[in-house]
Amino acid sequence: MEGTKTKRMSAPGRIEPAEAIQRAQAGDAEAWGEIYRQCAPAIFRFCRRALPVREDAEDATTEIFMKVREKIGQYDPARSFSAWLYKVSANHCWDMLRRRKGRQDKETEDVAELPLAHPAPGQLERLIERSTSEEVRGALARLNARARMALVLRYYSEMNYDEIAEALGVPRGYVGVVLLRARQELRQALERPGALAAGGSR
Amino acid sequence: MAEHVDEMACLLYLEGQLERARAREVSAHTEACAGCRELLRALGSETKLLRRAMIEEDEPLPERLAALPGRSGPPLPWIWGAVLGLAATGVYGLYAGFLEPVIGRLDEIGFGGSDVVSMLIFQGAFWKGWQSMISLIQILAMVTMAVASVALGRKWLRRPSAMAVVLASFCALLALPGGASAAEVRHAQIYTLHKDEVVKNDLYVAAGRVRIDGTVDGDLVAAGESVDVDGHVTGDVIAFTKNLRISGKVDGSVRVFANTLVLSGAVGRNVTSFTEVLDQDSASQVNGGLTAFSGSISLDGKIGRDFLAFAKNTTLSGFIGGDMKLRGRALSIGSTAQIQGSANFTGKEPAEVSAQAKLGSPLVYKEYKEEPRRWASHHYGMQIVWSLGTLLFGLVVFLLWPGFARRVSGEAGNYGASFGLGALVLFGMPIAFGFALVTMIGIPLGIAVLMLWLVLLYCAQFAVGAIVGGWILGAAPAGDGWALAARMLLGVVAIRVVILVPHLGGLAHFAVFLWGMGAIALAVYKGFQRGTPAVASGPAAQTA
Repeated sequence: MEGTKTKRMSAPGRIEPAEAIQRAQAGDAEAWGEIYRQCAPAIFRFCRRALPVREDAEDATTEIFMKVREKIGQYDPARSFSAWLYKVSANHCWDMLRRRKGRQDKETEDVAELPLAHPAPGQLERLIERSTSEEVRGALARLNARARMALVLRYYSEMNYDEIAEALGVPRGYVGVVLLRARQELRQALERPGALAAGGSR
Repeated sequence: MAEHVDEMACLLYLEGQLERARAREVSAHTEACAGCRELLRALGSETKLLRRAMIEEDEPLPERLAALPGRSGPPLPWIWGAVLGLAATGVYGLYAGFLEPVIGRLDEIGFGGSDVVSMLIFQGAFWKGWQSMISLIQILAMVTMAVASVALGRKWLRRPSAMAVVLASFCALLALPGGASAAEVRHAQIYTLHKDEVVKNDLYVAAGRVRIDGTVDGDLVAAGESVDVDGHVTGDVIAFTKNLRISGKVDGSVRVFANTLVLSGAVGRNVTSFTEVLDQDSASQVNGGLTAFSGSISLDGKIGRDFLAFAKNTTLSGFIGGDMKLRGRALSIGSTAQIQGSANFTGKEPAEVSAQAKLGSPLVYKEYKEEPRRWASHHYGMQIVWSLGTLLFGLVVFLLWPGFARRVSGEAGNYGASFGLGALVLFGMPIAFGFALVTMIGIPLGIAVLMLWLVLLYCAQFAVGAIVGGWILGAAPAGDGWALAARMLLGVVAIRVVILVPHLGGLAHFAVFLWGMGAIALAVYKGFQRGTPAVASGPAAQTA
């Protein structure tokens, strides 16, 4: 039972402008302005984390809201709006990333070869201790697309494992492996700044 | 319980992803084991660090994202009025500046736009005897459908197993009609049906050289470099070939798409041909009508019914049982010629008619009036209006589909692929058009393809304009539709200036066609690959 309601509400952009959405679904243009004002900063930050290039993040934000506008009819008001919004955003960014990379890295890549090493907890603790948020963001930008995306979906969008599996197109059972692998890569990137090539082609 | 908990289990435990029993185990173990407890704590602080790093508002929303993008603002009716007005001007510019000259040029060589259509629709002879084409068309249609569905379904067909299933079922589908119609299918380098051989069936043959000396008791559908029919075909002959020679006997009709058609035998019904050269020997007899699109036609034999043609040069020395209706440059009617019905000729030069020729009624000659040169007949003022119309049209297209426009200009930067695909589209689409015309049912499709091709040709300058403008002003900032559109406008003006240069201009124009069409096609193709809304706006952008 992860991602409890309170957690979700405290996450960025977990906003439910229910009334504005209702009006927007009825075709009210001003309601769109309202929704945009409320959600755009969070979505921009999402894109900024998910896509390493700033211009891409800006473009993606614009495109996501255009898409949302087209698809608003498909949104079920009984569900969480921000969850839906993040789903649309995740699909969009993931599409963009995949398009960039082509299909070099295969769907299930090397997750099976994951070394399930027992890290030295003290060492990990020290690394976390001395790493700043900024360094983490820098390291994040150097990860490979899937690792970065998984971390962003999990710890920024607060998606549950089912949602992540769907967004990234991996079996649900792999999500944990992908996340752990991503964390291990992130640690490497933090320990050796600049060690990973941008985009993480290793 | 003595076993340590690995990192995976710790993470899943923290994330609440373990089953209840396993979670209890982990919990019990970590209470007892300090090492694992420490790992759990470290992972927990890692999660916190990750969350904090991501959630922190380290940069404000960029200025240009401050307002709702795209069609966001309050819908102002006058803006839409203006946009529609501009679009209308642009469409007029497209027609006046581009389509009309093309149609005019077609007219010059005798393929008047409205005339082709009216002739195809209203001349009954043209429609007779096409039943046998249907099976061929079915196969073509099925192949086309399959290719299209594979292309569209790519996204879902990544897995090889799915692909295999589709391919297998496609093959099964292909096998079905073959079995049903029980036709003979032949494929060889040289195919010869010997003199005393009989095929009691429809014969489909694809070979470098096809020679039919024997008898085909059915239709003959042949593709190859040369096809000779010396024997007897009881059905129709349908051929796609460089040279077709009919010296034997065909009981049905002959439909041909070839470079050269030589008729020296007998055809029971009609002949329809799209050829460069059509030659009928004096011994040849066509019982039905002859409909031809040709560079040059020379008729020495007998045509039972009407003779309809678009041809540059026609020489008539034979017999025509019905009416003659001809458009072209020149017509010469020899002394041995005979026309039972009426004779009409529309051309540039008056026909040379021999005094000995026997005409049922005097030849009606209508001079084909070449429209005065378009460029001279209009004021420079109109030229400017058209150019502005073109620019406005481009502007509207760019502002309505900014995403697509950006992708197109991006693809234009991919020179090699753009030029390659451009060549394919530039030459491929007219070929597709030709094929659609030959398979009569495809006429509307063919005309649609031609129209799309012309529009693509027109839009090519916008794609190239965008990148040329980018060279001049530097790349447009991402997401700024106006900046990109402005570069496109500047680029188009630059292109138009370059095109004015004698000699070099023509070459540049051609390069623009190749390059731009390739970029558009590439963007559309990639759009299909991704299956994003860009697809919807892609083709729409071209048909606007």
